[in-house]
Amino acid sequence: MADLAQTATKALKEPAHHERLITGEPSFEQVTNAVSRVVESKTPKAWWVLFGISSSATLLLLVAIAYLFWEGIGIWGLNVPVAWGLAIVNLVFWIGIGHAGTLISAVLFLLRQRWRTSINRFAEAMTIFAVICALIFPAIHVGRIWVVYYIFPIPNQMGVWPNFRSPLLWDVFAFGTYFTVSLLFWYVGLIPDLATLRERATNRIKKIVYGVLSLGWYGGNKQWKHYEMAYLILAAIATPLVLSVHSIVSMDFAVSLLPGWHTTIFPPYFVAGAIFSGFAMVMTLAILARAAFGLKDIFNMRVLERMNLIMLVTGSMVGYAYAMEFFIAWYSGNEYEMFAFVNRAFGPYAWAYWIMISCNVIVPQFFWSKKLRTNIAFMFIASILINVGMWFERFVIVVTLSRDYLPSAWGYYTPTFWDIAILIGSFGLFFSLFLLFLRFLPMVAMSEVKGVLPQADPHFAGNKQAHSQAVS
Amino acid sequence: MQSLKISLKVKEQILSKENMKLDRNTYKFTDKGNLGNIALVVGIVGLAASAVGYIQDSHQFYFSYLVAFFFWISVALGALFFNLLHHLTRASWSTAIRKLTESMMSVIPFMFVLIIPVLLGMHELYHWTHEDVVATDLVLQQKAPYLNIPFFIIRVVFYFAVWSILTFALIKNSARQDIKHEDSILARMRKYSAPGMMLFAFTLTFASFDWLMSLEPHWFSTIFGVYIFCGVFISMLAFTIIMVRYQNGQGAFDGIVTVEHRHTLGKLLFAFTIMWAYMGFSQYLLIWYANLPEETFWYLQRWEGSWRTLSIILPIAHFGLPFVALLPQAAKRNGNWLLMMAFYMLLMRYMDLYWIAMPTHSPEGINYSWMDISTMAGIGGIFIWLFWRKYTSGAAVPVNDPGLKVSMEYVN
Repeated sequence: MADLAQTATKALKEPAHHERLITGEPSFEQVTNAVSRVVESKTPKAWWVLFGISSSATLLLLVAIAYLFWEGIGIWGLNVPVAWGLAIVNLVFWIGIGHAGTLISAVLFLLRQRWRTSINRFAEAMTIFAVICALIFPAIHVGRIWVVYYIFPIPNQMGVWPNFRSPLLWDVFAFGTYFTVSLLFWYVGLIPDLATLRERATNRIKKIVYGVLSLGWYGGNKQWKHYEMAYLILAAIATPLVLSVHSIVSMDFAVSLLPGWHTTIFPPYFVAGAIFSGFAMVMTLAILARAAFGLKDIFNMRVLERMNLIMLVTGSMVGYAYAMEFFIAWYSGNEYEMFAFVNRAFGPYAWAYWIMISCNVIVPQFFWSKKLRTNIAFMFIASILINVGMWFERFVIVVTLSRDYLPSAWGYYTPTFWDIAILIGSFGLFFSLFLLFLRFLPMVAMSEVKGVLPQADPHFAGNKQAHSQAVS
Repeated sequence: MQSLKISLKVKEQILSKENMKLDRNTYKFTDKGNLGNIALVVGIVGLAASAVGYIQDSHQFYFSYLVAFFFWISVALGALFFNLLHHLTRASWSTAIRKLTESMMSVIPFMFVLIIPVLLGMHELYHWTHEDVVATDLVLQQKAPYLNIPFFIIRVVFYFAVWSILTFALIKNSARQDIKHEDSILARMRKYSAPGMMLFAFTLTFASFDWLMSLEPHWFSTIFGVYIFCGVFISMLAFTIIMVRYQNGQGAFDGIVTVEHRHTLGKLLFAFTIMWAYMGFSQYLLIWYANLPEETFWYLQRWEGSWRTLSIILPIAHFGLPFVALLPQAAKRNGNWLLMMAFYMLLMRYMDLYWIAMPTHSPEGINYSWMDISTMAGIGGIFIWLFWRKYTSGAAVPVNDPGLKVSMEYVN
């Protein structure tokens, strides 16, 4: 525990002697104003437009789900052997997006990467919304929605239990833990900032709501002490989840006997891919947010560049995994294994495969160039391409099953209108939640950002001046 | 009794404070201590004994030699990775141990000479080299374009070429920096490290496929390279901790490399112990679950006879115990405890390699041979001698590196 305590003090309080993490030399007050303004100002028109679009998409999601419940999963393009279809593709995609948030908030915190403070809060919010989007898919895919509670190990009069050896049940535990811990972590981090908003609230309703949510925070010494310890413990709990959740997701595929699915590198490969796509999503959102709300000093180029470097690393890991899969498929000497991979690259879904390779392997390699990884336009396009690629990665894994052992049964999986509607709808839900978050909660962890400003250092020259003035 | 006395005397000599001296202005060794000489003697005796063993039982010799070889090259390759990482991430804390880790990787080109016995023993080590076996084995015929003697040798040469070029490039620039610092030198090292890291990932993976996985040519696992990589890094970290602690014990490193650096090395050791377990568990679980005979046989072999005991001990001893023993902060900051854990992790690493390679040699059960020890001592002695010779030949730290001061004052 002492180890953790030390890390906490260091991570939060270490003087910024290396470099300025926040540009423009703002004062504490300017940070508070810049971040709170987004919440307090009048709702901009652009927000209404965006919210209108995304909430309409959410409506589409609700309609598609309602129709699905009415008709059954036959409205989707599912077939045998592609029995999971887009539902699992979207599940894995969304849960993967969430991983960057946890990596940023927990792992980078433990690694004392202080530049994370700028993006921490909204990356975590993104995690929560992405997990919500992800959880929709297994729930609506069960077919008989009225017995969805069967996926939980609930003692019942029939003595029916889920199969504890099934990774799908492990998913229930993994997602449940992940969502709970992420939510708690996010909320604990929010408390001091909620108190700031409470203090600044201009009307009674805001005062009450932020007041209740901030749990009586007044910023006392003892409160900070407990707060930092709680934050640290939650970071330590969340860290293994970054690995475990997506490892278990990968096992949904890898424990099977299917060529192309059953391969031992899946757990670390999925984790790397998840972080990769998650960072791309954080990047997309960060670039939009910094442009829309004038937070260029907080989401500054140093932060963005480092995120690009993480994408370069994880993208290369994903490339390594693709190479290993391909090589071992050949090396195994197993003709079905070989077929599965040749079929991916040159079969009917070759177009999807090459989208995946270009977006996931080739695009991040451009970040070797300093010029490109500090170019806003380029990184914005790249981040979107990476997410397209990562969605297609899961698509390729799932739908290339359409050519299995029995050539006479070979088919072509095509998503239907309702498949696409739910995919679009899930983006709608994600962006609606995210826009609401931007509107009602501080999207940057003000208290943490202040902690990495030079003024937070007790040896800061400006402080000394103020101190000596106060003494004299 | 006699031997105990000698070993006590050796221990005394190694630990005596007056053994090694470092000039505090130039950071050069005025007294290099006798570690190098001891290592050389151990190495020569070990190799000579192993040569006798070769005449006695060449099959045993080659397997023992392969394990020992891989064990020691792991330290050097881990050091190469550490240096590449140091430059790529512009790490500041590790500058003070950069010369130490550079010296460790400087052994790589010499390891090319030490791999020759493995090449000579290919016929005994790898049964895919037997033409009569391949002739009746469809799977091996399929793999023949990869698993054949000329290509194997070409790959060995290629791996060593890549590793040696990277090593030379980094060490040459490091030497240039010792004369006069220029920012461009560090920039160049970073530039080499970027493609170097990519090349390292693939060469290490394929080297582990070639040298270890192909001992069972039917078996395959996509995670194997990553699993071996975790072990490689563990070896290097443990060895570094030992060498740092050794010099601290001599008083040579006081105020240069401190408990803070050891603490960080300990944290990395802890992290990669978990990483190793994660990779090993992923591999095991997926193979166990799918239960495909073409994969499970590898684990079933390790469930035969006394191998079963080792298979049960390995995860507990290589992961469970060190997880608990390295978790508390005090454990990583206590010099003797961390030293003991570093030795222990090297032993575990050896056990892991033994468990991977040896069932091919003696499928019926563990058949521990004195040659396992003599080859370890032989290659290890030469390794440490070469490493120490390089290390003590110049300054113990990169004296002109602008990051040195930050590193020496590093606090966790």
